[in-house]
Amino acid sequence: MTTFRRISRILAAGIFFLSISFANKVTAQDGKALFNANCASCHKMDKDLTGPALMGVHDRWNNDKLLALWIKNWNKAVASGDAYAVKIKDWSPSSMTVFEGTLSDAQIDAILGYIKAWKPEAKPTAAAAGAPAEEGDNTLLFGILTLILAVISFTLLQVNASLKKMADEKAGEPVVEPVPFWRNKAYIATLTVILFCVGGYLTSKGAMALGRSKDYTPTQPIFYSHKVHAGANQVNCLYCHGGAEQGKHANIPSVNVCMNCHKAINEYVKGPKLYDEDGNEVDGTAEIQKLYKYAGFDPANAAAWDPSKAKPIEWVKIHNLPDHVYFNHSQHVKAGKVACQTCHGEIQKMDEVKQFSDLSMGWCINCHRETKVQFKDNGFYSIYEKYHNDLKSGKIDSTKGITVEKIGGTECQKCHY
Amino acid sequence: MKKLSIIAVLAAGAVIVSCSDVKRKPGSIYMPDMAYSRAYETYADHSNLKEQGINYTNMPVAGTIARGEEVPFPIAMDKPGDTVNYVASKKVPNPVAALTAAEYKEAERQYLINCGICHGTKLDGNGPLWKDGEGPYPAAPKNLINDPIVGNMPEGQMMYSLTYGKNTMGSYASQLNRKQRWQIIHYIKMKQAEAKGGKLPLADEAPAAMDSSATAKK
Repeated sequence: MTTFRRISRILAAGIFFLSISFANKVTAQDGKALFNANCASCHKMDKDLTGPALMGVHDRWNNDKLLALWIKNWNKAVASGDAYAVKIKDWSPSSMTVFEGTLSDAQIDAILGYIKAWKPEAKPTAAAAGAPAEEGDNTLLFGILTLILAVISFTLLQVNASLKKMADEKAGEPVVEPVPFWRNKAYIATLTVILFCVGGYLTSKGAMALGRSKDYTPTQPIFYSHKVHAGANQVNCLYCHGGAEQGKHANIPSVNVCMNCHKAINEYVKGPKLYDEDGNEVDGTAEIQKLYKYAGFDPANAAAWDPSKAKPIEWVKIHNLPDHVYFNHSQHVKAGKVACQTCHGEIQKMDEVKQFSDLSMGWCINCHRETKVQFKDNGFYSIYEKYHNDLKSGKIDSTKGITVEKIGGTECQKCHY
Repeated sequence: MKKLSIIAVLAAGAVIVSCSDVKRKPGSIYMPDMAYSRAYETYADHSNLKEQGINYTNMPVAGTIARGEEVPFPIAMDKPGDTVNYVASKKVPNPVAALTAAEYKEAERQYLINCGICHGTKLDGNGPLWKDGEGPYPAAPKNLINDPIVGNMPEGQMMYSLTYGKNTMGSYASQLNRKQRWQIIHYIKMKQAEAKGGKLPLADEAPAAMDSSATAKK
């Protein structure tokens, strides 16, 4: 407050004498609000955007009156012949908005006061967040315990047999030479049964897993976190994958779609730390640099970027259906109004995307049997007049509704042709 | 006995080393020829088709217009540092008819998907990427309602910015087709009029009846 008053007094002297009464009403808070409303579209304090970074602008101009004049109407400042004004005019090909008539002198003072008082935030220290707690895998523990117990019981059985033999010897009873355990029929029979069960279980499980890639989490060329984009920053799925409601494929966004935001967002500092599935820390800013490499974008010379020179990023395809299955995204997303998460899982919570569903035929059919078609207010299904009438007349229980199966969703030819 | 325990320890060790929760390989399949298409598919590498004698153009023939699509925006993109075309775009009228109630709903949906992320669901320039400066985006998006420039911007100039990008905003030509872009401009204009206390009527409704029926109509 005090620094602000001092600045405003200096600035308000002379021509702006009358505005002092206004200036006293405008507070530093207003300076921030005014800055965000009028300047922040093109200016940031510590980074060049459309306009230059504003930190230290007072020192660079060294003439507060002229600076205020520039903000009001930069043409007038240039016309004054000041060397710095003439030089800064060519900073960028796009010229600054004229604020004459929009911003009062007091408001400009408030904005300049805010700029002068602004200091960069201290970078948070690295120790802010530790690695995610290791989740204990109990299966392994139980496995080892079972193994140890099995060994112990086996040993005890052997000990028992030896003791019995010794006791028999002492008692003078005829000693039967014990059968070694690898020739003991009871042991062999038990082992055979166990092997048969375990082997059969593993074989059938492995055979069923053939061609299903549930939980497939390939390493992608860029560590793109859906958790950051679709989760924290609430970017709609269809912003990037708009093809999902227009055609067969949910398209992979081209580099220019990434660059819509990343032309300006060139660092990852505000979100939580990123870790890949193996628990290694990932540097978000370095990943954005990888994108710039594909795009051929130089952050220091943003205006010279040519989107047509960008190279495609070769993402690794995760969800893959064999050639003999037809699947169409728009049918499900647009006509069926199925949420993306139904099949892809909670993508907005995944740092690295993994295949959520096994994409087996049983999985498809099951969903087609259980899912009710969204008949209401859906032009796509208006041709099923009989069903609509039956629903209206109560012939079909409206709580049960029409499943996908009822409109032919389990016919072979729907997907295999 | 000793041997057995050594083997057990080794086996347990192997299990620990080989077990990782992360599945980096897709796994085995019955018929690789079926699972991984032999035919050229979307996103396959199309760069070497010419060498194989396959004639393929990945762009539509110059001058053709897709069925149902609007005619191209008549103004070309400015050369860097130039604003002649940007200024000239002011004169281009919106060729798309005023929105019907259904089109309004669709334009709003498209706005929320593609624009709301920065310009805010209420068009107040405070979308989740800005969040009063707390979001990751370094520049404040324009307030589409209150900003003196955008508030009075001719529709042709808005189309120029949507098509070619403006300042830190990129081009949306690849995400929204021309009709969608013009319809979103209609939507923004209607919202702007609403904020000023007026109302632009929907095409299929009487102006007076709009208040109550805009959302109620199916």
